[in-house]
Amino acid sequence: MKSNSLYYYGLALMIIAAAMLPDAAEAQLQRERVELDEPMEDIFWATTNIGTSTVRNLSAGSLNSSILHTFGLVRGGINKFYGLDDGANTRLGLEYGFTDRFSLGIGRMTFNKVVDIRSKYNILRQTPSDSTPLELAVKLSTGISTFSGMEFSDRLNYFASVMVARKFDALSLQLSPMLSHFNTVGAGEQNQLFGLGLAAAYELNDRFALSAEYLPVLSERNPGTHDAMSVALNIDTGGHVFQVFFTSSQWHNEPYIMARNSHRLWDGDFRFGFNIHRAFGLR
Amino acid sequence: MTHYLLVILVHLSFAPVLNSAGEDTVYFTDSGQAEFTSSVPLHTFTGESSHLTGMFDPEENVIDFFLDLNTLRTGIDRRDRDMFRTLVVDEFPFAEFTGTLASPFDLNSSEEQTVSVTGEFTVHGVTREKTVEGTLQNQGGSLKLRAEWILDITDYDIEPPGLLFYRVRDEIEMLIEAELHPTSRDEL
Repeated sequence: MKSNSLYYYGLALMIIAAAMLPDAAEAQLQRERVELDEPMEDIFWATTNIGTSTVRNLSAGSLNSSILHTFGLVRGGINKFYGLDDGANTRLGLEYGFTDRFSLGIGRMTFNKVVDIRSKYNILRQTPSDSTPLELAVKLSTGISTFSGMEFSDRLNYFASVMVARKFDALSLQLSPMLSHFNTVGAGEQNQLFGLGLAAAYELNDRFALSAEYLPVLSERNPGTHDAMSVALNIDTGGHVFQVFFTSSQWHNEPYIMARNSHRLWDGDFRFGFNIHRAFGLR
Repeated sequence: MTHYLLVILVHLSFAPVLNSAGEDTVYFTDSGQAEFTSSVPLHTFTGESSHLTGMFDPEENVIDFFLDLNTLRTGIDRRDRDMFRTLVVDEFPFAEFTGTLASPFDLNSSEEQTVSVTGEFTVHGVTREKTVEGTLQNQGGSLKLRAEWILDITDYDIEPPGLLFYRVRDEIEMLIEAELHPTSRDEL
C-alpha cells in the first residue's frame, strides 16, 4: 500500500514537471499584428488628378517628377491626327517632400512659358479608423510668365486653394475652393477668378482607377471661357502612375484652366492628353 | 527502498525547472529596427520598420523574432502596396525566425561579441534553415543586437516583381538592430 502511494506521488511529480517544461510552441512569442492607424496615402494616386492638384502629398524625402501633356482637339480629325498634330502643351515638374505634410515644387509649361512655384501643406490627414475623417490641404503657388518684353510684376499670377477630400473604400472625392489673381489681364478679363474644383477617383483594382474633375468658375468669368471638365484612366505600373485622359482644357494648372479654357467637353470639344508621375525616394 | 530512490531521482531531475519557474528572465523588444535594401536598375531603395518583436532566452537558448510585414515602409506608398502584394501579406503577415545561439556568448561581459544563430527563417509561407552572424553586447543589463545578411527572395518562392521598365533584384540586404530588455517570461 505504502509503495503504491510513493509510486503515484512520483508519477504526479513527473506529470507536473513535464507540464512545466518549455516546448517549442511555448518558447515562441505569440505572433500579433501591429495595430496601425497611419494617414491614408492613396486617396489619390498622384499629386495632380488631371489638371488640378490633389490632397496627395509626398513622403518626406521623396522627389516626384511629372510630365503633363495635352494636344489639340480630337474633332480635328485624321487631318490633324485627332489633335496630335496640333501643338502640345507640356508641363515638366519637380516636387520634393520636406516632411510628410509639406512639399515644394517647380514646373514649366509650354503655353505662355509659365514657370510656377508651388507649395502644399496637409493640415489634416485622413486615418483608416476615422479618428481624422478628412484630408485637408492648402496649396499656394506663384506663376511667372517668361515671355520677353514684360515688366516683372506684369508677369505674375498668384493662386491659393483649400482642398478637402475623403476616401470611401474605392471612391475618393475632393472639393477645392480656389482663388487666382493675375497682375495683368487682357481687355474684359478678370484679375481675380474664384472657382470650385470637384475631383473624384474610383479604384477599379490595384492597377487601374478612373478619375474625373470639373472646375466651374463661380465668379464673373473671362469672355469666351467655359468650365473645364476631364475624365481619365489612371494606371499604376508600380514605379510610375500614368494618366491618360480626355479634357476640354489644354492648360496644366488651375489659374490658367479657370482663365483660359475655351472649350466644353459635353459639346464634343475635347482633346487627348496624358500625364506621367514618378516618385523617387532620396533618403 | 527503490521507491524512495525513485522519488528522490524525480525531485533531482526536475529541480532546475521547478526552481527557475518564478525567475525566468528573457531579453525582449517590440520596437526593434528592421531594414532591407533592394535595388532595381539605376536605383536602390530601402524599407524600414520599427516594429521588430523578439526575445532571447539565455536559459533555454532560444532566439525568436518576428516582424509584421505590414509595418514596412519604403517612403513611397504605391511601392509599399506592391511590396505587400508580392509578399502576400494578407495570407502571410509575418517574417519570423526561431533558432538557437550556435556559438558561445558570455552574458556577463560588456564587450561586443560576434555570435552565430541557427534556426528557421520563414517568410511568404516558406521556411528555410538559416544561419546568421551578428553581434550581441550587454549594455547595462540590456542586450544590443545587430545582424546583417543577404536574402535571396527566390529561395522563399517570392517572385521578384517586374514592373514594366524594371525588375527587382533577387538578392536583398537585410539588417536588424534591437535593444532587448530583461523581462520576466510571465509578462510576455
